[in-house]
Amino acid sequence: MSSGPCRKAGLGWSNWKKKPELRRAGETSVENGLPKWAVIALLIINKAGGLIYNRTFGEGLNQLNSNDYLVLAGTFHGVHAITARLNPLREHQAAHFYAQQQQQQYSASGSLGGASSSGGGGGGGGGQGGPLPSRPEPPSGLEVMETENFRLQCFNTQTGTKFLLFTDTMQANVDVAMRKVYELYADYVMKNPFYQLEMPVRCDMFDRKLNSYIREINNSR
Amino acid sequence: MPVQVFSFYIFDRHSHRVHLLQALDRPLHHHAPLSTSHTSSDHLLTSPPTSSSATLHPHRASAPAGSLPTSSSSTNNGISGGGAYRDSRSAATRAKDDAKLIFGTVFSLRNMVRKLGGDDDAFISYRTAQYKLHYYETPSSLRFAMLTEPGALSMRNVLHQIYINLWVEYGEFISVYLGREFLRERVCSIEDDKKKTRNGSDFRGPSPLSKTPLSPVEHKNGDGVRNEMFEMGLDKFVRGLM
Repeated sequence: MSSGPCRKAGLGWSNWKKKPELRRAGETSVENGLPKWAVIALLIINKAGGLIYNRTFGEGLNQLNSNDYLVLAGTFHGVHAITARLNPLREHQAAHFYAQQQQQQYSASGSLGGASSSGGGGGGGGGQGGPLPSRPEPPSGLEVMETENFRLQCFNTQTGTKFLLFTDTMQANVDVAMRKVYELYADYVMKNPFYQLEMPVRCDMFDRKLNSYIREINNSR
Repeated sequence: MPVQVFSFYIFDRHSHRVHLLQALDRPLHHHAPLSTSHTSSDHLLTSPPTSSSATLHPHRASAPAGSLPTSSSSTNNGISGGGAYRDSRSAATRAKDDAKLIFGTVFSLRNMVRKLGGDDDAFISYRTAQYKLHYYETPSSLRFAMLTEPGALSMRNVLHQIYINLWVEYGEFISVYLGREFLRERVCSIEDDKKKTRNGSDFRGPSPLSKTPLSPVEHKNGDGVRNEMFEMGLDKFVRGLM
């Protein structure tokens, strides 16, 4: 049985040339004094598609001028809306929902002994005791985008504000970071009495807290 | 690991949809047999261009929307009507619109990614709560887009395989071949026109077919691949994933 590990080791040796290369490729960016940042940038887009916050935490993305960032935010806003519309299952979900609703109407009218089911038109027929047909969940737009060099996580709040977090491709737990960023936004931007809604975010406290939080993430790697 | 594949698109470099395969999953589709929607898509993909402008300018990249007949397929839409939850458009129109939207999305995201990540960066996929779109682009700007369930792993290698094993193997060869046939039809019709104008002089110039372009054959007017082997291979391949 000892031949198994030996053979594996032999395979390892035959692959010997490739592995260090790969490892070195991962390490060079740190050795060059350019630390490989986990969280690269944060963009906040308001519900109209305007860019209200833009901050870069590390290298990894091309630096664009402010106009390009505005264009990018608008483009992303549009693409996000389209991706929400492009749900391949919408027909089936709608048909399913419709069938469910109809079935319930029939059963309701049957149990009431031929009572008119005119109330059934208004989305579930009100509180008749039976379980309401489950409405398909509203389509969400783009949530995660992956490319060869980076990863983009998008969080769309209930009010339509979008948080875009650019991370490197290996970053884990982006959801946690995103929630924390949203929390900071709620605490230090929305609770700032001088902040006007939908306007660019200029809040010192938010900047400072965000910086320290992101630095913490990036250093912990 | 089986993956639900919703649909699959190929676009050529002029943004014309070259191929569409819709393979919806079983549980939601149980009253109809699982099949590629050839009844509706073939209608779109393989309709020969009949307008005279298309015949006279075979090299002009005309807009795919203009010359396609759409009204004829609107009647055989089985689930039409039915209240506020129905889309009023016909299935064929919807498929066409979806293809346009997908191309637009993919195109803008790709440009965005290139702007941000540098020219060597490539857009791989995006995910929403309902689906995931995988993208692969060849150096000749042939674009593959596949919509799957949101939990699917990266399908980049799958798209690459489709390109290498199916498109290059069958598609390219036979589409060049069919492209010639297609060109011949057009050339003949042009020459017929010429003949008519020359009052029956029996002119037949050198066939332009000898100048078959080496670049990928264009697929104009949303003209499909029209290649049974490619379609069968693709169908089998995608089915194998599910």
